[in-house]
Amino acid sequence: MAVAAPVRTPEKAATKPKALPRRRRPKVGTYVLLVLVAGVFVGPFLLLLATALKPSSQPVFSFPPDLIPRPPVVDWFVEAWTTIPYGRFLLNSVLYVGVTVPLYLVVSATTAYPLARISFRGRQFFFLLFLSTMFLPGELMLIPRFLVMRELGLLDSYPAVILPAILSSLGIFLLRQTFAAIPDEVIEAARVDGASEWRIFLSVACPIARPTIAVLAILGFISIWNSFLWPLVALDDQSKFPIALGIAYLSGVSGTDVRGLAAGTVLSLVPVIAVFVFLQRHILSSMAGAVKG
Amino acid sequence: MAATGLIPRVRRPRHGPRRVVGQKAWTPYLFMLPGLLLFALMFGWPAFISLQMSVSSYRIVTPVRYVGLDNFLRLAADPQFHHAIGNTFLFMAMFLPFAVVLPLFLAMLVNRRLRGIHAFRAAYYLPVVTSMVAVAVAWRYLLSQEGVVNWLLSLVGLGPIDFLLDTHWALPALAVVEGWKNMGLFMVIYLAALQGVPREHLEAATVDGAGAARRLWHIVLPAILPYVTVTLTLGMLESTRSFESIYVLTRGGPQDSTLTLGYYIWHTAFEKYDVGYASAAGLVLWLIMIGLALANQRLTRRRDA
Repeated sequence: MAVAAPVRTPEKAATKPKALPRRRRPKVGTYVLLVLVAGVFVGPFLLLLATALKPSSQPVFSFPPDLIPRPPVVDWFVEAWTTIPYGRFLLNSVLYVGVTVPLYLVVSATTAYPLARISFRGRQFFFLLFLSTMFLPGELMLIPRFLVMRELGLLDSYPAVILPAILSSLGIFLLRQTFAAIPDEVIEAARVDGASEWRIFLSVACPIARPTIAVLAILGFISIWNSFLWPLVALDDQSKFPIALGIAYLSGVSGTDVRGLAAGTVLSLVPVIAVFVFLQRHILSSMAGAVKG
Repeated sequence: MAATGLIPRVRRPRHGPRRVVGQKAWTPYLFMLPGLLLFALMFGWPAFISLQMSVSSYRIVTPVRYVGLDNFLRLAADPQFHHAIGNTFLFMAMFLPFAVVLPLFLAMLVNRRLRGIHAFRAAYYLPVVTSMVAVAVAWRYLLSQEGVVNWLLSLVGLGPIDFLLDTHWALPALAVVEGWKNMGLFMVIYLAALQGVPREHLEAATVDGAGAARRLWHIVLPAILPYVTVTLTLGMLESTRSFESIYVLTRGGPQDSTLTLGYYIWHTAFEKYDVGYASAAGLVLWLIMIGLALANQRLTRRRDA
């Protein structure tokens, strides 16, 4: 069985010479298993793509399944783009990401810095206060936030979608860890030179934390690009819908043809998958780092 | 909670509180001002409203009216609410293997030095970064009566099952979809855990003739146990957040068989406009979650002692 191979630490294994003679690993078998499991996780997306490329002459459902489009056509992508305000949904999502992510980074960094580097009364309390938001399920906040937004007259507006997404415990948590890991000497040197806390934050701490900030930007992009539930509650006007909500709307409107829906869904996935594929190593290693703390 | 690794202890300042040059007493609060304002606006105020609503009758079109504990008495007698609580725990039980057990095997599978292993890790993580709506669209095809899943079942002489329209199968099907989507996340947690397992111990055990199962049971599992608490806690939280898949795939049906607390609250507030009553149900969900978190903490502490 594949799990039988000894578990090893990549970093250590890279630096250490092979200390012990060990069982020859069944490499081919391992790869076969890896590919099979990959099929389970990537397959549904490939199926979506295949469906979107099928010509209308070929049935979507057949038994046994006939998955290869013959010949592949792009008609459904054109249809998804033209019959639905698709460009509008995309543009909205770009706007939501473009406004929210920078604000999210600034708020996370300024909140995390004192929690990591300045000693003050109630630091632990404030840290737990921000962290506690991690344990609140979104559904619980739906109704009261809806009422707050109504009170503020912001329902069905862009700020209604943006405001709740700016404060995230994950951002504060990860940046606090990063700031806390900066060696004391670096900060002390800046203090001896007479730099104020703001100066240290801007010129010393943030540049050092740049890798974490970059990862947060990516994670923020992914989460806002996919946001569905809150926009569903906060928005009425479909011209303000982000793409994920647009897809659900699409499935309601053109529920008649699954190929069109599949094409629209694939289009909504392209940006987020592209970002992930290019940056996956950073995303995965930072997630692992966050868990290790 | 510290022992779970979710909330690490804040490192105590080395020299105790002291005033640093250029730092005024209110500097830290000034730093945190945007964060605190947003916290008040997006968590504090909503929490206050939530409490207020839970003891009120409010149906959007009517004015808010204080009703005391009426909402909670109504909930206590509401069979649909009881059904939703049952479904929530049932769903949690079916989801947890996808959060706690299966990702460990995934992590062991990809925790090795092989050419292209990063591509495989990324592939397993892919569903985590995509939207639940897109995932739901794909799985609606897969789970339909003529879908690929039923075809695979037919190969071994089973089915067909119309998963999303069958009252017995809809909730398990949703658990599989949610589990499939989130497994990569838990895999990464275990991957981080496995990198901390002492290599020397494993090699020593191998030399002593311990097989894979023994190594897993006696060396790997004890070493990663703290992380199991993390996946368990996160898995419980995640399972209560399963709203989107339900919304897109089943809308709580057929016959309320996929009606969980999260969906019940949404349905009561935004489809029946019974906002006060839904808020009371939300408070109950919140209490359940606190209870689970505390139970989890207790479990961890006992093992630490």
